[in-house]
Amino acid sequence: MSRARKLLESRHLLSLLLLGAVVWSFVSVNWGGPIVHTGGGEAAWRFLLALFPPELSPGFLLICLEAAWQTLAYALAGLTVAVFVGFPLGVIASGVVVAPSSRRRIPLILGVRFFLGGIRAVHELVWATLFVAAIGLSPLAAILALGLPYGGILGRIYAEFLQEAPPEPVRALRAAGASPMQTLLFGYLPMCLPDLVSYTFYRFECAVRAAAILSFVGVRGLGYEIQLSLGDLLFRQVWTLLLVLVAIVALVDLWSGRVRRSLLTS
Amino acid sequence: MSVVPQVQRKPDLAARYNPRSGLRPATTAPLVVVDGVAKAFPRVQALHSLSFSIRAGERVALIGPSGSGKTTLLNLLSGMEQPDAGRLSIEGKFLSQRMPRRELSRLVGLIHQQYDLVPQLPVAHNVLAGRFGHWGFFRSALSLVWPQDYPLAQAALERMGIADKIQERTSHLSGGEQQRVAIARAIVQSPRLVLADEPVASLDPARAEEILRLLADLTFNSGSYSSASASSGESGNTLVASIHSTELIRRFFSRVIGLREGRLQFDLPAAELTPALLNDLYDLGDDDFSHHLA
Repeated sequence: MSRARKLLESRHLLSLLLLGAVVWSFVSVNWGGPIVHTGGGEAAWRFLLALFPPELSPGFLLICLEAAWQTLAYALAGLTVAVFVGFPLGVIASGVVVAPSSRRRIPLILGVRFFLGGIRAVHELVWATLFVAAIGLSPLAAILALGLPYGGILGRIYAEFLQEAPPEPVRALRAAGASPMQTLLFGYLPMCLPDLVSYTFYRFECAVRAAAILSFVGVRGLGYEIQLSLGDLLFRQVWTLLLVLVAIVALVDLWSGRVRRSLLTS
Repeated sequence: MSVVPQVQRKPDLAARYNPRSGLRPATTAPLVVVDGVAKAFPRVQALHSLSFSIRAGERVALIGPSGSGKTTLLNLLSGMEQPDAGRLSIEGKFLSQRMPRRELSRLVGLIHQQYDLVPQLPVAHNVLAGRFGHWGFFRSALSLVWPQDYPLAQAALERMGIADKIQERTSHLSGGEQQRVAIARAIVQSPRLVLADEPVASLDPARAEEILRLLADLTFNSGSYSSASASSGESGNTLVASIHSTELIRRFFSRVIGLREGRLQFDLPAAELTPALLNDLYDLGDDDFSHHLA
């Protein structure tokens, strides 16, 4: 039997095992039971009906605007921290600027990757509770709570983009006498820029959603207002807030598409 | 791997040779010395103990069937790859992994088959990459915003006849124009030895002739542009190019080296290249290691 065939069969085996794991996890969930809310259907119906129309009074819209502004500010500040953490670490983790002959190459790259993996393994909400415990309910806690895990994610993805850059132009630059940093500036970055920017924008979208959620540890913003309105069963207000969140995310998406296109065609 | 310490440096006679004065010293030390160089790749031997030397100002054509080791030889000469055995020197300096990249870039420059430019950058930056060996990090970072040594790029592109493209995004240029940008980079780099891997493989006959004329011209007039650079003393670039056309070899080269299966089959003045020699060279027999080498 050929090696290729064996490989194929082992792949099938792996797929079967994974499928089995999925089925098993569904089966092992306790579906039935007394936790089902008997009045749930009616509550859901009431919530849905509240969409027509959502709360649109000028006073509440002003609250929405301020909350949206706060959420955006947290997202932007958090993402800025994330870029400052993720970019340098991602460049190191990709290995493109570390001289291949250097003896510290492998420990350095592995160390940075381990660090990036560590900070992104912890969810931003967990970071938030940690930082709130450490520095209190300050905006700084929220920004760091967003910036660290997002920095870990950005660093990892940046490293992957850099590693996937076409090697020939970089080789030619090196042959022309370029140092690793020069190949980064004139080879890797120009070739990867559209991908790097567009992924960062995608993460900004995620950061907007995450910043809204951070209200669960007491940070002001859209999530905080949603929580308040939900607590008072004011579903029409909840809808308005949700629609504002959707609008922000859609706007960010539109903006990132424009930027990416201009990068690709300029 | 043999890492050769840089001792026993020969007196630098080749550097004194000035082609513009038309005077050649009676005894010229060779510019390039290839001494017993061998290189193997997994499953095939690319080069078997190759030895020859090249004097300054020579234009050497490398011919041979694909897989004969031309590209491997060019990569070794460029210092981008290291031989398994033997050693190479340019201007008496042995190429090794430890040679600083900027020193290497002053000795040798390689024009790749696919030009290998950074497509997203303006032409000027791709040309000025030839100055990286002279620039530190901060100067090159500054150059991203404010291109440094801009007149050098202008002059080089003017010689290539595409001065009007200097601001254009490189990916917008045609294949032939990109080839010229790659040569302009080599002009700006101004190394002692210029290598070109199949410079005319993908060009039509008229364009091929133009490009070769530009490359051949490069080897004679280097003094006029490098005088603008810091290394104004340099002159007399030397060319080694892999190429298939007999006619072009006769017209643009002074010497021809035939490679077959990683061995030197012949080494002649270009005028003495005969069809019989070529037939002999390209007759592959039952060997098929052409698949393994590009």
